[in-house]
Amino acid sequence: MTQDRPDAAELLDAVAEYLFAELRLEVPREQRFKVLVAANVCAVVAREIRAGDGPALADEELFAELLGGPGGAPELAKRIRAGEFDERLDVLRDRLAEHVRRKLEVARPGYDAD
Amino acid sequence: MEAATGTEPDLAAGVQAVLAELGDDPGGLSLSPIPGGASRETWLVEPSAAPGREAEEAAPLCVLRRDPKGSVSLVPMGEEFDLIRLAAEAGVPVPRPLAFEPDGGRFGSPGILMGFVAGTSVAPRILRKPEYEAARRLLVPQLAEALARIHSVPVGALEGVLPAPAPDPALGQIAEWERQLDEIGEPLPVVELGLRWLRSNAPEPAAPRLVHGDFRLGNFIVGEGGLAAVIDWELAHLGDPAEDIGWLCIRSWRFGNDESPVAGVGGLDEFAAAYEAAGGEPVNRERVRYWEVFGNVKWAVICARQAQDHLSGVRRSHELASLGRRVCEPEWDMLELIRGEGA
Repeated sequence: MTQDRPDAAELLDAVAEYLFAELRLEVPREQRFKVLVAANVCAVVAREIRAGDGPALADEELFAELLGGPGGAPELAKRIRAGEFDERLDVLRDRLAEHVRRKLEVARPGYDAD
Repeated sequence: MEAATGTEPDLAAGVQAVLAELGDDPGGLSLSPIPGGASRETWLVEPSAAPGREAEEAAPLCVLRRDPKGSVSLVPMGEEFDLIRLAAEAGVPVPRPLAFEPDGGRFGSPGILMGFVAGTSVAPRILRKPEYEAARRLLVPQLAEALARIHSVPVGALEGVLPAPAPDPALGQIAEWERQLDEIGEPLPVVELGLRWLRSNAPEPAAPRLVHGDFRLGNFIVGEGGLAAVIDWELAHLGDPAEDIGWLCIRSWRFGNDESPVAGVGGLDEFAAAYEAAGGEPVNRERVRYWEVFGNVKWAVICARQAQDHLSGVRRSHELASLGRRVCEPEWDMLELIRGEGA
Protein backbone atom coordinates (compact mmCIF):
# COMPACT_ATOMS: atom_id res chain seq x y z
CA MET A 1 0.00 0.00 0.00
CA THR A 2 1.26 3.42 -0.86
CA GLN A 3 1.73 5.72 2.10
CA ASP A 4 1.07 9.43 2.12
CA ARG A 5 3.87 11.97 1.82
CA PRO A 6 6.34 12.57 3.36
CA ASP A 7 7.97 9.35 2.18
CA ALA A 8 10.28 7.37 4.48
CA ALA A 9 13.46 9.24 3.56
CA GLU A 10 11.75 12.62 3.87
CA LEU A 11 10.50 11.73 7.36
CA LEU A 12 14.02 10.76 8.41
CA ASP A 13 15.29 14.06 6.99
CA ALA A 14 12.80 15.87 9.23
CA VAL A 15 13.90 13.96 12.34
CA ALA A 16 17.59 14.44 11.50
CA GLU A 17 17.07 18.19 11.08
CA TYR A 18 15.28 18.45 14.44
CA LEU A 19 17.94 16.41 16.26
CA PHE A 20 20.85 18.30 14.73
CA ALA A 21 19.57 21.87 14.58
CA GLU A 22 17.37 21.97 17.68
CA LEU A 23 17.66 19.20 20.26
CA ARG A 24 21.47 19.01 20.07
CA LEU A 25 21.74 22.61 21.26
CA GLU A 26 19.23 22.16 24.07
CA VAL A 27 20.68 19.13 25.88
CA PRO A 28 23.57 19.28 28.39
CA ARG A 29 26.99 19.41 26.71
CA GLU A 30 27.92 15.81 27.57
CA GLN A 31 24.73 14.58 25.82
CA ARG A 32 25.33 16.46 22.57
CA PHE A 33 27.44 13.72 21.01
CA LYS A 34 24.67 11.16 21.54
CA VAL A 35 22.19 13.45 19.78
CA LEU A 36 24.64 14.03 16.94
CA VAL A 37 25.02 10.25 16.52
CA ALA A 38 21.23 9.87 16.42
CA ALA A 39 20.93 12.60 13.77
CA ASN A 40 23.66 10.94 11.73
CA VAL A 41 21.95 7.54 11.93
CA CYS A 42 18.78 9.10 10.50
CA ALA A 43 20.79 10.63 7.66
CA VAL A 44 22.48 7.28 6.89
CA VAL A 45 19.16 5.45 6.73
CA ALA A 46 17.63 8.19 4.55
CA ARG A 47 20.52 7.79 2.08
CA GLU A 48 20.13 4.01 2.16
CA ILE A 49 16.44 4.27 1.30
CA ARG A 50 17.16 6.70 -1.55
CA ALA A 51 19.91 4.46 -2.93
CA GLY A 52 17.34 1.66 -3.40
CA ASP A 53 18.30 -1.92 -4.31
CA GLY A 54 21.08 -0.94 -6.71
CA PRO A 55 24.07 -1.17 -4.36
CA ALA A 56 23.03 -4.54 -2.87
CA LEU A 57 22.45 -5.99 -6.35
CA ALA A 58 25.83 -4.71 -7.54
CA ASP A 59 27.50 -6.37 -4.54
CA GLU A 60 25.70 -9.66 -5.19
CA GLU A 61 26.91 -9.55 -8.78
CA LEU A 62 30.46 -8.70 -7.73
CA PHE A 63 30.65 -11.49 -5.14
CA ALA A 64 29.19 -14.01 -7.60
CA GLU A 65 31.77 -12.99 -10.21
CA LEU A 66 34.66 -13.30 -7.74
CA LEU A 67 33.40 -16.67 -6.51
CA GLY A 68 32.46 -17.95 -9.95
CA GLY A 69 29.12 -18.94 -8.38
CA PRO A 70 26.71 -18.38 -5.50
CA GLY A 71 27.42 -18.02 -1.77
CA GLY A 72 27.69 -14.26 -1.39
CA ALA A 73 29.68 -12.50 1.31
CA PRO A 74 29.84 -15.48 3.74
CA GLU A 75 31.34 -17.79 1.09
CA LEU A 76 33.71 -15.10 -0.17
CA ALA A 77 34.92 -14.34 3.37
CA LYS A 78 35.51 -18.06 3.96
CA ARG A 79 37.47 -18.57 0.74
CA ILE A 80 39.64 -15.50 1.29
CA ARG A 81 40.46 -16.79 4.80
CA ALA A 82 41.34 -20.19 3.29
CA GLY A 83 43.94 -18.49 1.09
CA GLU A 84 42.20 -19.14 -2.25
CA PHE A 85 42.80 -15.55 -3.38
CA ASP A 86 46.39 -15.22 -2.16
CA GLU A 87 47.81 -15.26 -5.70
CA ARG A 88 45.61 -12.35 -6.81
CA LEU A 89 45.18 -10.18 -3.73
CA ASP A 90 45.85 -7.07 -5.87
CA VAL A 91 42.92 -7.86 -8.20
CA LEU A 92 40.73 -8.70 -5.21
CA ARG A 93 41.72 -5.38 -3.60
CA ASP A 94 40.59 -3.36 -6.60
CA ARG A 95 37.30 -5.22 -6.94
CA LEU A 96 36.45 -5.04 -3.24
CA ALA A 97 37.21 -1.30 -3.32
CA GLU A 98 34.03 -1.00 -5.45
CA HIS A 99 32.08 -2.74 -2.67
CA VAL A 100 33.53 -0.43 0.02
CA ARG A 101 32.79 2.66 -2.10
CA ARG A 102 29.16 1.59 -2.30
CA LYS A 103 29.01 1.25 1.50
CA LEU A 104 30.65 4.66 2.01
CA GLU A 105 28.22 6.28 -0.42
CA VAL A 106 25.48 5.55 2.15
CA ALA A 107 27.39 5.55 5.45
CA ARG A 108 29.92 8.37 4.95
CA PRO A 109 29.78 10.14 1.58
CA GLY A 110 33.02 11.81 0.61
CA TYR A 111 35.26 9.64 2.83
CA ASP A 112 36.75 8.06 -0.31
CA ALA A 113 37.48 11.41 -1.97
CA ASP A 114 41.09 11.79 -3.11
CA MET B 1 29.22 -16.06 40.91
CA GLU B 2 27.03 -13.02 41.48
CA ALA B 3 28.83 -10.19 43.23
CA ALA B 4 27.31 -8.11 46.01
CA THR B 5 24.77 -5.63 44.70
CA GLY B 6 26.18 -2.47 43.25
CA THR B 7 23.66 0.18 44.11
CA GLU B 8 25.32 3.55 44.35
CA PRO B 9 25.12 3.94 48.18
CA ASP B 10 26.79 0.51 48.60
CA LEU B 11 29.44 1.47 46.12
CA ALA B 12 30.11 4.82 47.80
CA ALA B 13 30.45 3.06 51.17
CA GLY B 14 32.82 0.53 49.60
CA VAL B 15 35.02 3.22 48.10
CA GLN B 16 35.02 5.12 51.41
CA ALA B 17 36.11 1.98 53.29
CA VAL B 18 38.96 1.36 50.83
CA LEU B 19 40.16 4.97 51.05
CA ALA B 20 39.95 4.86 54.86
CA GLU B 21 42.11 1.72 54.80
CA LEU B 22 44.67 3.64 52.71
CA GLY B 23 44.89 6.08 55.62
CA ASP B 24 42.65 8.91 54.53
CA ASP B 25 38.99 8.63 55.54
CA PRO B 26 37.28 11.08 53.20
CA GLY B 27 33.90 10.99 54.96
CA GLY B 28 30.74 10.63 52.90
CA LEU B 29 31.20 10.27 49.14
CA SER B 30 29.08 10.79 46.10
CA LEU B 31 29.68 8.88 42.88
CA SER B 32 28.66 9.99 39.41
CA PRO B 33 29.18 8.03 36.19
CA ILE B 34 31.59 9.49 33.63
CA PRO B 35 30.16 8.83 30.16
CA GLY B 36 32.22 7.57 27.26
CA GLY B 37 33.85 4.42 28.61
CA ALA B 38 33.19 1.89 25.87
CA SER B 39 33.67 -1.34 27.78
CA ARG B 40 34.20 -0.40 31.40
CA GLU B 41 32.26 1.72 33.88
CA THR B 42 34.01 4.85 35.10
CA TRP B 43 32.82 6.76 38.17
CA LEU B 44 33.94 10.12 39.48
CA VAL B 45 34.29 9.94 43.28
CA GLU B 46 33.78 13.22 45.15
CA PRO B 47 33.22 14.18 48.79
CA SER B 48 29.53 14.67 49.55
CA ALA B 49 28.77 18.34 49.82
CA ALA B 50 29.58 19.56 53.30
CA PRO B 51 26.91 21.74 54.98
CA GLY B 52 27.00 25.27 53.68
CA ARG B 53 29.20 24.30 50.77
CA GLU B 54 28.22 23.80 47.15
CA ALA B 55 28.99 20.34 45.76
CA GLU B 56 30.85 21.80 42.78
CA GLU B 57 33.39 23.43 45.09
CA ALA B 58 34.63 20.09 46.37
CA ALA B 59 37.64 18.92 44.37
CA PRO B 60 37.16 15.52 42.69
CA LEU B 61 38.87 12.95 44.80
CA CYS B 62 39.46 9.96 42.59
CA VAL B 63 38.13 7.80 39.80
CA LEU B 64 36.74 4.28 40.05
CA ARG B 65 37.01 2.07 36.99
CA ARG B 66 35.27 -1.27 37.13
CA ASP B 67 33.96 -4.08 34.99
CA PRO B 68 30.26 -4.04 34.18
CA LYS B 69 28.57 -6.99 35.86
CA GLY B 70 29.28 -10.27 34.11
CA SER B 71 31.65 -8.87 31.50
CA VAL B 72 34.83 -10.58 30.34
CA SER B 73 37.80 -8.39 29.43
CA LEU B 74 41.02 -9.05 27.56
CA VAL B 75 43.20 -7.67 30.32
CA PRO B 76 41.47 -8.33 33.68
CA MET B 77 41.20 -5.37 36.09
CA GLY B 78 43.79 -6.75 38.52
CA GLU B 79 46.36 -7.01 35.73
CA GLU B 80 45.43 -3.53 34.48
CA PHE B 81 46.19 -2.24 37.99
CA ASP B 82 49.64 -3.90 37.90
CA LEU B 83 50.28 -2.45 34.42
CA ILE B 84 49.45 1.09 35.53
CA ARG B 85 51.82 0.69 38.49
CA LEU B 86 54.64 -0.58 36.25
CA ALA B 87 54.01 2.21 33.74
CA ALA B 88 54.17 4.79 36.54
CA GLU B 89 57.49 3.31 37.66
CA ALA B 90 58.81 3.63 34.10
CA GLY B 91 57.93 7.33 34.09
CA VAL B 92 54.77 7.13 31.94
CA PRO B 93 52.21 9.77 32.97
CA VAL B 94 49.27 7.71 34.32
CA PRO B 95 46.59 8.23 36.98
CA ARG B 96 47.97 7.32 40.42
CA PRO B 97 46.93 3.70 41.08
CA LEU B 98 45.35 3.52 44.56
CA ALA B 99 43.62 0.18 45.09
CA PHE B 100 42.29 -2.93 43.36
CA GLU B 101 39.28 -4.95 44.51
CA PRO B 102 38.47 -8.35 42.99
CA ASP B 103 35.07 -9.73 41.98
CA GLY B 104 32.73 -9.68 44.97
CA GLY B 105 34.94 -7.17 46.76
CA ARG B 106 34.01 -3.73 47.99
CA PHE B 107 33.43 -2.39 44.47
CA GLY B 108 31.05 -5.25 43.60
CA SER B 109 32.63 -6.27 40.31
CA PRO B 110 36.45 -6.13 39.78
CA GLY B 111 37.57 -2.52 39.90
CA ILE B 112 40.45 -0.17 40.46
CA LEU B 113 40.60 3.16 42.24
CA MET B 114 42.87 5.82 40.73
CA GLY B 115 43.83 9.40 41.44
CA PHE B 116 41.83 12.04 39.55
CA VAL B 117 43.65 13.67 36.61
CA ALA B 118 42.40 17.09 35.49
CA GLY B 119 41.87 17.65 31.77
CA THR B 120 39.85 16.08 28.96
CA SER B 121 40.16 12.94 26.86
CA VAL B 122 37.54 14.06 24.31
CA ALA B 123 39.37 14.21 20.98
CA PRO B 124 37.43 17.00 19.21
CA ARG B 125 37.89 19.26 22.24
CA ILE B 126 41.63 18.59 22.34
CA LEU B 127 41.94 19.24 18.60
CA ARG B 128 39.75 22.33 18.28
CA LYS B 129 39.21 24.21 21.57
CA PRO B 130 41.33 27.38 21.88
CA GLU B 131 42.27 26.57 25.49
CA TYR B 132 44.25 23.55 24.25
CA GLU B 133 46.26 25.42 21.64
CA ALA B 134 49.47 25.31 23.67
CA ALA B 135 48.78 21.66 24.53
CA ARG B 136 48.47 20.78 20.84
CA ARG B 137 51.95 22.13 20.16
CA LEU B 138 53.41 20.08 23.03
CA LEU B 139 51.55 16.86 22.34
CA VAL B 140 53.67 15.12 19.68
CA PRO B 141 56.97 15.06 21.64
CA GLN B 142 55.10 14.29 24.87
CA LEU B 143 53.32 11.31 23.28
CA ALA B 144 56.61 10.12 21.78
CA GLU B 145 58.35 10.23 25.14
CA ALA B 146 55.46 8.52 26.94
CA LEU B 147 55.40 5.74 24.34
CA ALA B 148 59.19 5.26 24.51
CA ARG B 149 58.80 4.82 28.28
CA ILE B 150 55.96 2.33 27.88
CA HIS B 151 58.19 0.33 25.54
CA SER B 152 61.02 0.53 28.10
CA VAL B 153 59.10 -1.39 30.80
CA PRO B 154 61.24 -4.46 31.54
CA VAL B 155 59.56 -7.46 29.91
CA GLY B 156 60.61 -9.62 32.86
CA ALA B 157 58.44 -7.51 35.18
CA LEU B 158 55.36 -8.44 33.12
CA GLU B 159 55.57 -12.17 33.77
CA GLY B 160 52.30 -13.21 35.39
CA VAL B 161 50.72 -9.88 34.42
CA LEU B 162 50.39 -10.45 30.67
CA PRO B 163 50.32 -13.70 28.67
CA ALA B 164 53.67 -14.80 27.21
CA PRO B 165 54.32 -13.16 23.82
CA ALA B 166 53.58 -15.01 20.59
CA PRO B 167 56.78 -16.25 18.87
CA ASP B 168 55.88 -13.92 15.98
CA PRO B 169 54.08 -10.80 17.31
CA ALA B 170 52.40 -10.02 13.98
CA LEU B 171 51.06 -13.56 13.44
CA GLY B 172 49.97 -13.62 17.09
CA GLN B 173 47.91 -10.45 16.67
CA ILE B 174 46.45 -11.63 13.35
CA ALA B 175 45.27 -14.85 15.04
CA GLU B 176 43.83 -12.87 17.97
CA TRP B 177 41.74 -10.55 15.75
CA GLU B 178 40.66 -13.43 13.49
CA ARG B 179 39.34 -15.05 16.64
CA GLN B 180 37.51 -11.85 17.62
CA LEU B 181 36.04 -11.61 14.12
CA ASP B 182 34.83 -15.21 14.27
CA GLU B 183 33.10 -14.53 17.59
CA ILE B 184 31.06 -11.77 15.94
CA GLY B 185 29.91 -14.09 13.16
CA GLU B 186 29.42 -11.38 10.50
CA PRO B 187 31.09 -12.10 7.13
CA LEU B 188 33.47 -9.22 6.28
CA PRO B 189 35.32 -10.09 3.02
CA VAL B 190 37.35 -6.85 3.03
CA VAL B 191 38.62 -7.49 6.56
CA GLU B 192 39.50 -11.04 5.49
CA LEU B 193 41.50 -9.62 2.59
CA GLY B 194 43.32 -7.36 5.05
CA LEU B 195 44.12 -10.32 7.30
CA ARG B 196 45.54 -12.33 4.34
CA TRP B 197 47.65 -9.34 3.27
CA LEU B 198 48.97 -9.04 6.83
CA ARG B 199 49.91 -12.76 6.85
CA SER B 200 51.72 -12.46 3.51
CA ASN B 201 53.58 -9.29 4.46
CA ALA B 202 54.47 -9.88 8.11
CA PRO B 203 57.81 -8.22 9.02
CA GLU B 204 60.73 -9.92 10.74
CA PRO B 205 59.56 -10.70 14.29
CA ALA B 206 60.44 -7.85 16.66
CA ALA B 207 61.81 -8.41 20.17
CA PRO B 208 58.64 -8.29 22.32
CA ARG B 209 57.90 -5.15 24.33
CA LEU B 210 54.98 -3.92 26.40
CA VAL B 211 52.48 -2.67 23.82
CA HIS B 212 49.70 -0.41 25.16
CA GLY B 213 47.37 -1.64 22.43
CA ASP B 214 45.07 1.41 22.39
CA PHE B 215 47.53 4.33 22.34
CA ARG B 216 45.50 7.00 20.51
CA LEU B 217 43.62 10.25 20.88
CA GLY B 218 40.67 9.46 23.14
CA ASN B 219 42.85 7.57 25.61
CA PHE B 220 45.02 10.55 26.51
CA ILE B 221 43.96 12.93 29.26
CA VAL B 222 45.15 16.31 28.06
CA GLY B 223 45.33 19.47 30.16
CA GLU B 224 46.46 22.94 29.22
CA GLY B 225 50.05 21.77 29.65
CA GLY B 226 49.58 18.90 27.22
CA LEU B 227 49.62 15.17 28.01
CA ALA B 228 48.55 14.54 31.62
CA ALA B 229 47.89 10.79 31.55
CA VAL B 230 47.73 7.71 29.32
CA ILE B 231 44.61 5.69 30.20
CA ASP B 232 42.72 2.54 29.19
CA TRP B 233 45.23 -0.33 29.27
CA GLU B 234 42.64 -2.96 28.42
CA LEU B 235 44.26 -4.02 25.12
CA ALA B 236 47.83 -4.18 26.45
CA HIS B 237 49.96 -7.15 25.44
CA LEU B 238 53.53 -8.13 24.64
CA GLY B 239 54.31 -7.45 21.00
CA ASP B 240 56.00 -5.32 18.35
CA PRO B 241 56.44 -1.73 19.66
CA ALA B 242 55.79 -0.40 16.14
CA GLU B 243 52.21 -1.69 16.58
CA ASP B 244 51.48 1.23 18.96
CA ILE B 245 52.89 3.77 16.48
CA GLY B 246 50.86 2.41 13.55
CA TRP B 247 47.66 2.40 15.64
CA LEU B 248 48.32 5.97 16.82
CA CYS B 249 48.55 7.07 13.17
CA ILE B 250 45.45 5.51 11.57
CA ARG B 251 43.11 8.01 9.96
CA SER B 252 40.25 7.28 12.38
CA TRP B 253 42.31 8.74 15.26
CA ARG B 254 43.04 11.96 13.38
CA PHE B 255 39.40 13.00 13.92
CA GLY B 256 39.20 14.94 10.67
CA ASN B 257 42.74 16.36 10.70
CA ASP B 258 43.69 13.93 7.93
CA GLU B 259 47.00 15.63 7.08
CA SER B 260 48.39 15.15 10.62
CA PRO B 261 48.94 11.42 11.14
CA VAL B 262 50.12 11.63 14.76
CA ALA B 263 46.96 12.09 16.84
CA GLY B 264 45.69 14.73 14.40
CA VAL B 265 48.30 17.22 15.62
CA GLY B 266 51.63 16.39 13.99
CA GLY B 267 53.80 14.38 11.66
CA LEU B 268 55.64 11.08 11.95
CA ASP B 269 59.09 12.67 11.47
CA GLU B 270 58.74 14.87 14.54
CA PHE B 271 57.28 11.95 16.50
CA ALA B 272 60.07 9.56 15.47
CA ALA B 273 62.82 12.02 16.40
CA ALA B 274 61.35 12.56 19.87
CA TYR B 275 60.67 8.82 20.35
CA GLU B 276 64.25 7.94 19.46
CA ALA B 277 65.63 10.79 21.62
CA ALA B 278 63.65 9.34 24.55
CA GLY B 279 65.32 5.95 24.10
CA GLY B 280 62.92 4.26 21.67
CA GLU B 281 64.28 1.93 18.97
CA PRO B 282 64.79 3.60 15.56
CA VAL B 283 61.40 3.98 13.88
CA ASN B 284 61.14 1.92 10.68
CA ARG B 285 58.54 3.59 8.42
CA GLU B 286 57.70 0.41 6.49
CA ARG B 287 57.03 -1.41 9.75
CA VAL B 288 54.84 1.44 11.01
CA ARG B 289 52.90 1.31 7.73
CA TYR B 290 52.39 -2.45 8.15
CA TRP B 291 50.96 -1.86 11.63
CA GLU B 292 48.75 0.92 10.24
CA VAL B 293 47.23 -1.67 7.91
CA PHE B 294 46.80 -3.94 10.93
CA GLY B 295 45.32 -1.04 12.96
CA ASN B 296 42.63 -0.46 10.35
CA VAL B 297 41.75 -4.17 10.31
CA LYS B 298 41.59 -4.17 14.12
CA TRP B 299 39.41 -1.03 14.25
CA ALA B 300 37.04 -2.53 11.65
CA VAL B 301 36.68 -5.65 13.82
CA ILE B 302 36.15 -3.55 16.96
CA CYS B 303 33.42 -1.51 15.21
CA ALA B 304 31.67 -4.71 14.13
CA ARG B 305 32.00 -6.15 17.64
CA GLN B 306 30.54 -3.04 19.30
CA ALA B 307 27.56 -3.18 16.94
CA GLN B 308 27.20 -6.87 17.79
CA ASP B 309 27.18 -6.01 21.53
CA HIS B 310 24.13 -3.87 20.80
CA LEU B 311 22.44 -6.44 18.56
CA SER B 312 22.94 -9.31 21.00
CA GLY B 313 21.66 -7.21 23.89
CA VAL B 314 24.94 -7.19 25.86
CA ARG B 315 24.64 -3.40 25.86
CA ARG B 316 21.78 -1.73 23.97
CA SER B 317 23.06 1.60 22.65
CA HIS B 318 22.47 3.59 19.48
CA GLU B 319 26.10 4.72 19.64
CA LEU B 320 27.32 1.11 19.51
CA ALA B 321 24.76 0.26 16.83
CA SER B 322 25.97 3.13 14.64
CA LEU B 323 29.55 1.82 14.74
CA GLY B 324 28.45 -1.12 12.58
CA ARG B 325 28.09 1.34 9.71
CA ARG B 326 31.59 2.71 10.30
CA VAL B 327 33.33 -0.59 9.47
CA CYS B 328 33.68 0.65 5.89
CA GLU B 329 35.86 3.63 6.95
CA PRO B 330 38.88 1.63 8.20
CA GLU B 331 38.20 -0.86 5.39
CA TRP B 332 38.67 1.95 2.87
CA ASP B 333 41.80 3.29 4.62
CA MET B 334 43.26 -0.23 4.71
CA LEU B 335 42.62 -0.75 0.98
CA GLU B 336 44.31 2.59 0.22
CA LEU B 337 47.36 1.63 2.30
CA ILE B 338 47.89 -1.70 0.52
CA ARG B 339 47.20 -0.38 -2.98
CA GLY B 340 50.23 -1.06 -5.16
CA GLU B 341 52.00 -2.88 -2.31
CA GLY B 342 51.61 -6.43 -3.56
CA ALA B 343 47.85 -6.18 -3.30
